[in-house]
Amino acid sequence: MEKVKKDKLKIGIYELTGCAGDALLILDCEKELIDIFKAADIQSFLMAKSDNIDGELDVALVEGSVSTEREKKELLDIRKRAKTVVAIGICACFGGIQAAFLDKKDWEKNFKKVYGNIKMTHTNPIQSKPINSYIKVDYYLPGCPIDKEQFLSTFNRILRGNPPELYRFPVCVECKWNENDCLLNKGIPCLGPITRAGCGSICINHNLPCVGCWGPVEEANLTSEFHLLREKGFDYDFIKKKMANFSGTGIADFLGKLKGEEK
Amino acid sequence: MKKISVEHLARVEGNGGISATIDGKVVTDVKFSVYEGPRLVERLTIGKTPEEDVNIVPRICAICSISHKYAALRAMENAFSVKVPPKVSFFRELMHLGEMIESHSLHIYYLALPDYVGFPNAIAMASKFDLEVKIALEMKEFGNHIMKTASGRYIHGENPVIGGFGKFPSKEELIWIKSRAIQFVPFVLKTVSLFCELDYPNCPEKNTVYACCNPAQNNYGFTGDEIILSTGETINKEDYKSLTNEFVVSHSYAKHSRYRGKPYSVGALARVNNLGDRLRGEARKMYQKYFSRRWKKNPLFNNAAQALEILYAFERIPKIIDKMLKLPDPPIVKYTKKEGKGTGIVEAPRGLLIHSYEVSDGLVSHTDIITPTAQNAEDIERYCYIAAQKLLYRGDEDKIRDRMDLVVRAFDPCISCSAHMAEIKKAPAENWKTKLAEIKKKGSPIFVGVGKRNRSDDGVGIELALELRKHGAGDVWLESEIEEKETLWKNGLHRPLVFFDAVDFREKPGKVTLLPLHYIFSNSALSHRLLPFISGKINYDYLKNSYVLGIQPESIEEGKKISRPVRQSIVKVLDHIMK
Repeated sequence: MEKVKKDKLKIGIYELTGCAGDALLILDCEKELIDIFKAADIQSFLMAKSDNIDGELDVALVEGSVSTEREKKELLDIRKRAKTVVAIGICACFGGIQAAFLDKKDWEKNFKKVYGNIKMTHTNPIQSKPINSYIKVDYYLPGCPIDKEQFLSTFNRILRGNPPELYRFPVCVECKWNENDCLLNKGIPCLGPITRAGCGSICINHNLPCVGCWGPVEEANLTSEFHLLREKGFDYDFIKKKMANFSGTGIADFLGKLKGEEK
Repeated sequence: MKKISVEHLARVEGNGGISATIDGKVVTDVKFSVYEGPRLVERLTIGKTPEEDVNIVPRICAICSISHKYAALRAMENAFSVKVPPKVSFFRELMHLGEMIESHSLHIYYLALPDYVGFPNAIAMASKFDLEVKIALEMKEFGNHIMKTASGRYIHGENPVIGGFGKFPSKEELIWIKSRAIQFVPFVLKTVSLFCELDYPNCPEKNTVYACCNPAQNNYGFTGDEIILSTGETINKEDYKSLTNEFVVSHSYAKHSRYRGKPYSVGALARVNNLGDRLRGEARKMYQKYFSRRWKKNPLFNNAAQALEILYAFERIPKIIDKMLKLPDPPIVKYTKKEGKGTGIVEAPRGLLIHSYEVSDGLVSHTDIITPTAQNAEDIERYCYIAAQKLLYRGDEDKIRDRMDLVVRAFDPCISCSAHMAEIKKAPAENWKTKLAEIKKKGSPIFVGVGKRNRSDDGVGIELALELRKHGAGDVWLESEIEEKETLWKNGLHRPLVFFDAVDFREKPGKVTLLPLHYIFSNSALSHRLLPFISGKINYDYLKNSYVLGIQPESIEEGKKISRPVRQSIVKVLDHIMK
């Protein structure tokens, strides 16, 4: 049989502000790592190699949130060079934990508390935002960090020119697959119903409540979760904070609406 | 002025850069910058419950996520006086060893080794070191497997909680880990030999202070309740601030740290230097075989130290598992306290990690987190400076960039927790006579002779001062006299200060150079004893008005006389000043 020869896709993996966990997870694909490097033309991957090129790309995988002027510039440049941009991890998707200061004044106040009035000479800070605040994002691969299986399947599909297929349901579905007891029924504050699946309901498998680290699932019924936890006796601020810990801009609208609610 | 820089440090975790500024023959500045944006993680934890804090803080860094979790748990448990059962302690130690194995093998094989064998990355290196790359991957995977077993997943697992674990592994799982650990030992022994026998360049070499946790009962290990320094001092964990003294710098979002005004180092090398004598078994044999005095002053040996620690981890795992197998799975220890203050210290793979909290009314009210890379930032800059300056002397300017890259990488920096890495910039090689005329415009200079007369050309400073004095020049002092001259320090503050000294620029012997003191201030390789003498006496404003008139020595051997070319320069300078 004649082999079909095809040019390898040019891929760049970029890290903005975050814990670098998504890039690290790609390195953690130990057995598949060499295959990944063989199957695609990895043009740039700072964490893994030093001969990086900033040229035209088929796909850019971007981790982290935009937190400095320099990163904003870099991101705009990546968008210009890449045909497809994929946001990987919740920092890129929703701004991550560092986007919990949604209010600009709040952020400025806290920045001053840490760094004082110092004038930065290398690059100016900006309030942390997900990458879709500045550029068009083609696909989102959430997670904190991303899941290995989901990453490999996404990567595979992209290599073949197909759009990735991700879970569009909450953690509760996976939790049922794993036949766990519902922690909410036991009065433990679990964010499974509003959090995007993909982790394999790992915390509940360990008898621990979901902390919401994958960010909100599309069409999550945030109001219902909120009232459920209220019924279980948790206070307004506690629930609000818990839901906001990892969600960044993902639940900003909801929090805005909550202002009208009574405490 | 010229700037050599590594804008994006590759093969390090996170986003950093390093730059050196070169002025003529002098490296004037080295800056390790963290481009990683500010995340304000400490502020994010304020108002959160202790449990939420423990969820959030590991997100500072993926590579050290277990260490962050561990330090936070220890701090919170100290705050609430929670005592965990032995099985919890052993399981935590196991998960921590998993992280050490994973992080160290990733660093030495994938990030560091390509530099020493001439490949741009580990995948390319696989063409020549196929077996090593594959087994190293398996070793790293094994570390990951332990972390996954203990914490729930590779990165940011939530199984470890305040008071214990959500779930313990099965006996079968533990036995599998134990047998796998034993299988790896032969390869790990090879790894230690490989990294201890690498040809580490001797540039840079310089002493520093090393700090790490002091494990209890004279053991080697990665936790403790006090910090031990290479000076022999110990510091209680609650007093960690007397070690770290953090301050903000304008070129980095990572804070810097200094101990008694001086940079210090943390990490595997610090641990082996401070605690190496406590190693046992094969690790002890390897330590005795390879440890040398160079480990105490060359940061590149951090790679060797990490290899040695991988061996320690593999020998320790079967022992821990034997203990775990004998103990029942304890439930999570509950606590009722809503107030408290606590500090927890652990060794992250790249060094001492400190978490300190205050909790009031059940919510976190104060958080202080000090990461290893932030503590190493000052020494990273200093060693890069030394390396850059030495290479510049040798005329190897083109090697500076790569060498700085090598030095930074050896520290295994974890930039998420902090910082970016390497640039170089240059001083104009100005004519010393013109420069002296400029200085005189600012005021009549005070001259100070520095050096040792019995060391050949090192005596040039003293000799020149004495000659000047003999010829009736005004304010001229010797190093030995000036220390006591309080009045001079007070009155002299508005006049320029010019030191005479032998300064090694790798120029032709007798070459005269006049440079601002701060150019050579932080590099003691250049001007030996000037540093301690000056630093106690003058403040920064005055430093800007101080200069060194340096003469290139031919030799500084003890017992020899001043060489001919240097003697001629003395006459030249003398004539010019007296004119």
